Amino acid sequence: MQTTIDKQILAEVQNVTYTHWNQEEPTLRNVSLQIETGTLNVLVGPSGSGKSTLCDLFNGVIPHLYGGELDGQVFVDGLNTREIEVKNLASHVGRVFQDPEIMFAMLYVEDEIAFGPENLRLDADIIRETVEEMLIQTDLVERRSNLVWNLSGGQVQKLGLAAVLAMRPKMIVLDEPTSNLDPVATRNVHELVLSLRNEGITVLYVTRELDDFLAEADQLLVMDDGEIVAAGDPKQVLKERGGYLADKLGVWLPETCEIGIALQEIGRLGDESIPITVAETVDLLDNVGVLDGNFRTSGKSETESNTLSGNRNAEILVLAKDLHYTYPGGVEALKGISLEIQEGEWLMIVGRNGAGKSTLARMLVGLTKPKDNALTMFDVDARKWKVQDLANLIGLVFQNPEHQFLTDTVEEEIGYSLLAQGITEPDEVEARTDDLLDMLGLSKVADVHPFALSAGLKRRLGVATMLVGEPKILLVDEPTYGQDKEMTFTLMALMKEINARGVAVVMITHDMRLVQEYAERVVVMSNGLILFDGPSSGLFDQEEVLTQSNLRRTLLHDIVNELKRRGVDVSENIRSTGDLIHYLNIDEEGN
Amino acid sequence: MASSETNLSYIDVNSVMHRIYPLVKLIWVFVVAVGLFFYKEPISGAIMFLLVLFMALVVSRIPFGALISSFKLIFGLGIILMIFHFFADPGNVIYRFGPLTITDGGLQVGPVFFFRLSVVVLASFILIWTTDTRDLMFSLTKAGIPYRYAFAVFLALRFLPLEQKEVEAVKAAHSIRGRAAKSGLIDRFKLWQRYMFTVLINGLRKAEMTATALECRAFGAYPDRTYVKTVTFHAVDLILILIFIVIQAGLIYAEGIM
Repeated sequence: MQTTIDKQILAEVQNVTYTHWNQEEPTLRNVSLQIETGTLNVLVGPSGSGKSTLCDLFNGVIPHLYGGELDGQVFVDGLNTREIEVKNLASHVGRVFQDPEIMFAMLYVEDEIAFGPENLRLDADIIRETVEEMLIQTDLVERRSNLVWNLSGGQVQKLGLAAVLAMRPKMIVLDEPTSNLDPVATRNVHELVLSLRNEGITVLYVTRELDDFLAEADQLLVMDDGEIVAAGDPKQVLKERGGYLADKLGVWLPETCEIGIALQEIGRLGDESIPITVAETVDLLDNVGVLDGNFRTSGKSETESNTLSGNRNAEILVLAKDLHYTYPGGVEALKGISLEIQEGEWLMIVGRNGAGKSTLARMLVGLTKPKDNALTMFDVDARKWKVQDLANLIGLVFQNPEHQFLTDTVEEEIGYSLLAQGITEPDEVEARTDDLLDMLGLSKVADVHPFALSAGLKRRLGVATMLVGEPKILLVDEPTYGQDKEMTFTLMALMKEINARGVAVVMITHDMRLVQEYAERVVVMSNGLILFDGPSSGLFDQEEVLTQSNLRRTLLHDIVNELKRRGVDVSENIRSTGDLIHYLNIDEEGN
Repeated sequence: MASSETNLSYIDVNSVMHRIYPLVKLIWVFVVAVGLFFYKEPISGAIMFLLVLFMALVVSRIPFGALISSFKLIFGLGIILMIFHFFADPGNVIYRFGPLTITDGGLQVGPVFFFRLSVVVLASFILIWTTDTRDLMFSLTKAGIPYRYAFAVFLALRFLPLEQKEVEAVKAAHSIRGRAAKSGLIDRFKLWQRYMFTVLINGLRKAEMTATALECRAFGAYPDRTYVKTVTFHAVDLILILIFIVIQAGLIYAEGIM
């Protein structure tokens, strides 16, 4: 079998079918793929399609550690993974886990990087040199003596990479490294990955959301239901399967690709390939003659959204004036913020990791108390509120909804919240439980243990328990973290519905596309301060605010700007690629 | 985030205790523990308590605030145990609460148990506060313990602060669920069960992933490994153990002739 490995191919999976020891259906079905030396390979697919399982093949975690039934062969660097143990494959393949914090074994950054090479019994002097090199490469020199749990999200990912790279593997496997990072930190991780590829390291990069980083990939692999459904040059895969990827698999494609796919669907793409960069997209629109006028105005008027956010008579529910907070250890999380939250409004809070967003959220639900009277909630000084009483007026859905669950079934979870409201009448409990389960699409899983739900359903149950008290404000912390496109849209639709019932929705997020598409009002936090508070349409032109808060403009915004620069009249308020496609007449009915 | 809130990890100050060889400190904790099990009088325990407190605040330069914020963890179980003994031990009844009685025997034995437990916990905290756990692992392997086992001790200590964070996160999440009107002892117990369930499930998941991740980083690939940073043993460190052995022996002797 060794002979099948060409000099050019670093890793190869041959007809692999794998079944977990506790499952009956295989997670991987007859998977075959090749990864060439020194290439960047991007793997996408919906949740539960087997991406992480595929990652586990390359360094032998499957079958050596996870057991199960493995048919077929996996070769890496000329070695058959069946025959070599995980710990001995470590210097050939490095694996960066989704949450690198779980792989940290040491206390300090520099010790963490040294850990792997130490296990390989390398010479201490060589290890010291390697550590220096890795610190520089991952831009962590200033953090070398930091405790590993005192790093920002982006630094955690970089340290994860450094720790793996220090063992000098030929290939690295990254599993969704940016899913909880702010846009600039994401960008930095991407740049680091590219520089590694350019140094000759082979990369397998798993992700749920693609942006123009895709333009740099050498191979795009697509998984669905345990099978590789497409593999090859990204542009070719997009051209052949783009629509399927976006619509059927719910993969987040860059806005640029979405526009290209829309053109393809109306038969106007011709021989051109699907664009990935902004320039390519606008060139394409120009080439196929879409920009020759006759733009359609979208059905919804701009004034509609303005009246919603600018309601002067609405009751003010939360009022913060120069609010400060310093943690007992001395970390100054809030440095004087002023903020109003009005009845029934829709507000999104964005900002870099560690900007103070979560501290603010904790304050709003009373878990953290201000030191003075700077925060008034429902006309009462925040210091006077008890957490339990406040819970009836303002609900918080945590980043990890599991933390909030208290009972053994979904139904009981709602029942508990009703009990906390003093509602014990069996008929009423049943009626209200059914209502809520129905509204959130949880009826089918009413008897399931909350911990056994899928990530998307867990989040929905978290929302359900918070809606029981009929709160006036619903706070949601990173609701779309780790969710694919379809789940995200379902959740956003749900939030809209809740908002339409008059509940103010306050959402903390990193996802600039969601901000652009959904936010009426956006608040940008950075370093404990509010840098921007206004309509989302105004945010993307504030270069300085974006830079300071680690945010990036969306590709869509860049496309619109580029169109304007080329003299195209885009006066409409374009909030999503759907809006732009409609405006440019490239949806079906337009032709 | 506010990781400085955790109080189960290394405190980075420069003290005599910080510089003592980790293994010596570990043995010191054992010496303190063994002595405590010989004392029958509360006064001996109290003297030991004051000594170890002195070790914490002066010799180890642990900030008083750190001690206070860990008060429940260090003394909580000891206090519960002491109160339990007040009521449970045989002897002459001194005070009555309905069916419960406090006995003179209980009042004598209670503090002994309080000191036994609390002093050992406090001494262990001093070890955690003043020792970079990596150095402890290194000194254990130097003493001939295979590094896989030494590292298990290390990892346990390494994950303590993270678990503490997890408990706090779960507590916070639960509290905003509101509380059912009756919050008697049974309900509180149920709530505690729930914390433990969530923390345990997440802890087990984390442990499994960590074990996998370690192996992916060549942990255990060879019977030994390199150590970039080492600590050196100085015989003078043994004075710490000697002093305590002498004090313990003195106290045991004094109890004997009283």
